[in-house]
Amino acid sequence: MAGRDDIENWLARCGMGDRRAFAALYQATSAKLFGICLRVLQDRTEAEDVLQDIYVKIWRNAGQYRVNGLSPMTWLITIARNAAIDRVRRRRAISGDSDGIDLHADPTPGPEARAMAASDRMRLTDCLGELDERHAQAVQGAYLDAETYADLAARFDVPLNTMRTWLRRSLLTLRECLSR
Amino acid sequence: MSDELPERDADKALAGEYALGLLPPDEAVAFEARLASDPQLRALYADWAEVLAQLTDRIDPVAPPPQVWAGAEARLFGTRRKFRVGAGGRSGWLATLMGGLAATVLVLGLIVGADLMPRDPASPTDPTYVAELVAEDRSLIVFAAYDARDGTLFVERERGDPAQDRAFELWLIAGTDAPVSLGVLPQDRAAVIQIPDALRPRLDGAALAVSDEPPGGSPTGAPTGAVLAVGQITNT
Repeated sequence: MAGRDDIENWLARCGMGDRRAFAALYQATSAKLFGICLRVLQDRTEAEDVLQDIYVKIWRNAGQYRVNGLSPMTWLITIARNAAIDRVRRRRAISGDSDGIDLHADPTPGPEARAMAASDRMRLTDCLGELDERHAQAVQGAYLDAETYADLAARFDVPLNTMRTWLRRSLLTLRECLSR
Repeated sequence: MSDELPERDADKALAGEYALGLLPPDEAVAFEARLASDPQLRALYADWAEVLAQLTDRIDPVAPPPQVWAGAEARLFGTRRKFRVGAGGRSGWLATLMGGLAATVLVLGLIVGADLMPRDPASPTDPTYVAELVAEDRSLIVFAAYDARDGTLFVERERGDPAQDRAFELWLIAGTDAPVSLGVLPQDRAAVIQIPDALRPRLDGAALAVSDEPPGGSPTGAPTGAVLAVGQITNT
């Protein structure tokens, strides 16, 4: 597994137009980002299309990486997640409504959320565990299932403003827990 | 917001909502404007990005198929591989010029938050109409979203590239009228096209189509090559 220094180094060299560094970066990180695309999009062909867009974007923006203050893997993951979420939202716009999509109709946590719950290694897991279970699900639903406040309000059967107030407070609780 | 949080906490929550993609469009735009000039807010956002990225820790890596890399290389460096039919792009002054035009369109998006996350032309957050143009064999898929507020049409090729030394041209087909060209799609996958005032009222209920044309587009003003993909414009 490539370390942080390797990835930073490859990104810096990509920023200078080094294609071999780009190949090495792809080799080391594409399986992780493809896993994320598959998880969010739930469709292999679409995940392949989006992954290609993601690496085009990474190459074109690698030169800006240094100044953005994120760890290199977080930067890559965030690009991948945002691209996949954008594609899901676009699909919903095409299909006319978000109600018809049962991607997240089942409020039970997905496989990786269950795996996370089984793990006591991660602080984030611990801190999500301190939240009301529904609020923890809402955070994960927004991050990995492209759920909007409207989706979350419908799922938990509360008014939209209430949903937002809940989630904002939960986010603060989460940060408070993480900083302990 | 109705809940009253101290300002610092309010920003912390706001940065989290932004990182989750939950902010309503107008608030997201306002947040991005602040990000550009507020290092503290950028730090709050970066903290959230680090935390939330951990939600992907338990997602199993999956090796992507080789055509993803081949396609990315072809798009970036113009190396042609057998994986994508007609992969690769135009070369020479035309491509440079078109790249330049696309870049001009991009500038607005790039100023804001340029040092945080890459920005391409973005699909409108609240489009008036959308269309999906799909080839029969699904080898070409183009997404389009129209924003009536500024008369812009966002277009993105989700799949498929023009054949070598050919171009994709976009057409508006309203009722039984002859197709009206909306321009040649640039080499970049995503682009924003300004729809002329006279055409805007004709979008409702019309269709969009992509045809195969010589570089620079149809010389006649009507489609000369095969119509590759068609899609109905629908209200959102």
